[in-house]
Amino acid sequence: MLSAARAPRPAPGRSEPGQTRIEVRGLGKSFRLGGTELEAVRDVSFTIAKGEFVALLGPSGSGKSTVLNMIATLLKPSGGEILIDGVRTAPNKASPLVGYVFQKDTLFPWRTVADNIGYGLELAGVAKAERAERVAACIEQAGLRGFADAYPSSLSGGMRQRAALMRTLVVEPQILLMDEPFGALDTHTKIDMHDVLLKIWDREKQTVLFVTHDLSEALTLADRIIMFSARPGRIKEMFSVDLPRPRDAVTLRETPRYAELFQHVWHSLGEEFIKGRAP
Amino acid sequence: MKRLLRPTTLLWQAAICAAFLALWQWGFDLHGRFPRLVPDLLDPYFVSKPSEIVDQFLVLGCFKTGLGAWNGWSNGDFARCMAKFDNNLWVATWITLRNTFFGFLTGVTSGFVLGLILGRSDRLSAIFQPFITAVNSIPRIALAPIIVLAFGIGDNSKIVTSWIVVVFLVFYNTFAGARSVDEGFINAARLLGASEWQITRSVVIPSTMAWVFASLTPAISFALIGVIVGEFIGAEHGIGRLIIESEARGEASGMMVAVIILMIVGVILSALIWRLQIYLLRWQPQRAQ
Repeated sequence: MLSAARAPRPAPGRSEPGQTRIEVRGLGKSFRLGGTELEAVRDVSFTIAKGEFVALLGPSGSGKSTVLNMIATLLKPSGGEILIDGVRTAPNKASPLVGYVFQKDTLFPWRTVADNIGYGLELAGVAKAERAERVAACIEQAGLRGFADAYPSSLSGGMRQRAALMRTLVVEPQILLMDEPFGALDTHTKIDMHDVLLKIWDREKQTVLFVTHDLSEALTLADRIIMFSARPGRIKEMFSVDLPRPRDAVTLRETPRYAELFQHVWHSLGEEFIKGRAP
Repeated sequence: MKRLLRPTTLLWQAAICAAFLALWQWGFDLHGRFPRLVPDLLDPYFVSKPSEIVDQFLVLGCFKTGLGAWNGWSNGDFARCMAKFDNNLWVATWITLRNTFFGFLTGVTSGFVLGLILGRSDRLSAIFQPFITAVNSIPRIALAPIIVLAFGIGDNSKIVTSWIVVVFLVFYNTFAGARSVDEGFINAARLLGASEWQITRSVVIPSTMAWVFASLTPAISFALIGVIVGEFIGAEHGIGRLIIESEARGEASGMMVAVIILMIVGVILSALIWRLQIYLLRWQPQRAQ
């Protein structure tokens, strides 16, 4: 069931609806491990429209994070190309349009929550007063009031990930790349984070690429799911998620359409899990 | 760990000090009666005794004359003694401290910068690795006579000796710290638009700080050792010089005064570093000490 990109929604600012934001053409990646060549990603091509929320779903080792990291320019592709707004990406030159949220907690432990969130603005040379204002707004939005001057070591996992999300969002990236950002959180905290993210996205309508191996997470958040097959990672199928918005992470799961979609995609995903198993 | 400061703990510590001082002061008096119990080494000729040390402290500090009379403040005796006795305790301590400070400062800064550069550059560290290992294998103190020969008996030779023992220590710690910076932090900074210099300043240096600080307490002791050894070999002033002079005169008390001053100086310097470390690394989760 190969579906075209979902009907695009108007994104804020200068964006034109329906415009291609990210284009990936014939992307491949091999790693050398010891003496052997390991093919992680083979011939991956897709396009993401402006303001679209897309989940990259697949079992671990299916190369979905590798694809994301190549788009983020953290990894150099072995073949193929990536275009962001029609411009080819160069290694180690992150596009200022792109914001990245890691699975691993990468908050700087030597900076307070406020200083972590303000870091991107600091780098961009934003004046102190404006910085303080924008950071305060983010802290409010993330429900971290009262923790501005706390160091990350004293926060819970969920609070840390919210702060990390805000550190990325404060510079207002048009494209959000998220690598299993909530993978390490417990189910409750995870659903909280889904609501936080959905609320922000409903307002800002960034283009989002969200890597996950969790089908319910993909269905809750995305407009479209790109499913990867087991190694070497290739695109197996795409599914469009036609659940109405705005969504509520908790009640959404009780709707019949959700259950229907879940069953449908699960069948295909299950095949990959079985393939990924050791014989 | 507040519990360490319970009153009984303090009481025990005071009792141990009192017993130690008493044994030192009167222990050898029992030598005649119990020659086997009290070793010859306790002879005040070798180790002096507290009362003599206090006396010697007052003499070296210009409070008393060598004959035992007090030097008055108002009649100018104290000032005259200070002027005539050019390596009195105060001048000696000041000079030793000053040279230690400069040796420490130059050693820490150059060790830090070198460690940072080599730690972040695979190419440079590959090139310089064998040289650093070779030089590091030399017991640095063995270079002290050469340094005094080259830089003279003034302050410079003490600072250089001190620098050379400190620099490697700080270099190795900074190097290890710079090597072990979490790539996740660097990627996060890069994706937020940080330049290489901004990454160095805002990610590499802060995450290396814990490693650098681990080397600073030993570094300050090493700096002091470097200066003292330099002064042993040739100096006009300083605590090391005071020790050598007392030794030449066979005055154990003079050496003990110098050693006690060094101990106090060492404790104060370490405490200062410790306070600084607590402040600068306040982001670290509280650890048991």
